[in-house]
Amino acid sequence: MSKIDCETICMSAMARADGYVSEVSAEQIDAHLADCETCLKDLAELRTTINLLEAHQRQQSTEDIWGRIAPSLPDALTTRTRTKAWYPFLALSIVLITHRLIGLIPDGDPGVLFKLAPVLFVIAVFIYLRENPFKINVALRLEGE
Amino acid sequence: MDDKEAIEKCRTGDTEAFRHLVQHYQSEAIGHASAILGNREDAMDAVQEAFIDAFQSLDQFDLNRSFYPWFYVILRNRCYKLAQVRRRGELSSSDDMEILAAGPGVRPEESMLLERCLLELPVQDRELITLRHLDGLSYQELSERLAVPQGTIMSRLYHARRKLRDKLARHSFTGFARLTYEQN
Repeated sequence: MSKIDCETICMSAMARADGYVSEVSAEQIDAHLADCETCLKDLAELRTTINLLEAHQRQQSTEDIWGRIAPSLPDALTTRTRTKAWYPFLALSIVLITHRLIGLIPDGDPGVLFKLAPVLFVIAVFIYLRENPFKINVALRLEGE
Repeated sequence: MDDKEAIEKCRTGDTEAFRHLVQHYQSEAIGHASAILGNREDAMDAVQEAFIDAFQSLDQFDLNRSFYPWFYVILRNRCYKLAQVRRRGELSSSDDMEILAAGPGVRPEESMLLERCLLELPVQDRELITLRHLDGLSYQELSERLAVPQGTIMSRLYHARRKLRDKLARHSFTGFARLTYEQN
């Protein structure tokens, strides 16, 4: 039997033992193993390797790393919030562009409300963000001040 | 508090709720990171960074799924990045067991040898073998965890086991000699 056949058989036999059914049937595996000592030896050694592995567990850690993580979370939270902050501005851009395009349609008077829509939407975005655009940030300092 | 509740609180900015997740999964995470990186010190760094990454990305987490498999992907990325930076090809100089804890009836020298052989394996092989044989993950679970088809898991696992077997044989593992004797 060719080497590739042996490898496929051994691989399928190991997979079957693990509970995974490969394309090679149990009958094909058994028929091959009945007269292939190389595969029998290979499989026996692989099973011994697995038995040795399974006689172990993972080394358990008793260390508590919360103390190392907790100080970084406020910064992580700021980054997370900053990442999300552009969504309302994206929505605002889409609305303003759409509004401008609709305004370009000739022969139509959309009315006062339509003209005020961008202003109302900008106000809504700032209310949503809980930001006052007219607030002067006195905490800001120029570099070197 | 269960994971779902903790995650919902974390999403509102409650950093204290994240303590629940960290303390619940840190031991498992350190074990997995140690198996990938081969030493506990680097594992602790990777786990720390992974938890911070996870906290930042909690908005993307699907609450209908389990937390740990999702977190494992983040942890794994951190470990592989760190492994690339450190390029630790050499064996741990310490005699401490970093990955394995021997069960009853296992001789200490056999455990040491197995750990040494595991550390000599490529990172991906070591990760796969430990997930299968120390955590008992099925092919289905391995396939989901590592994002590869089950057929690939079968093939990779087979070759990883062969490499481990060859390394044990090269270091004169007596288990194979006993096996040959029993067969004869």
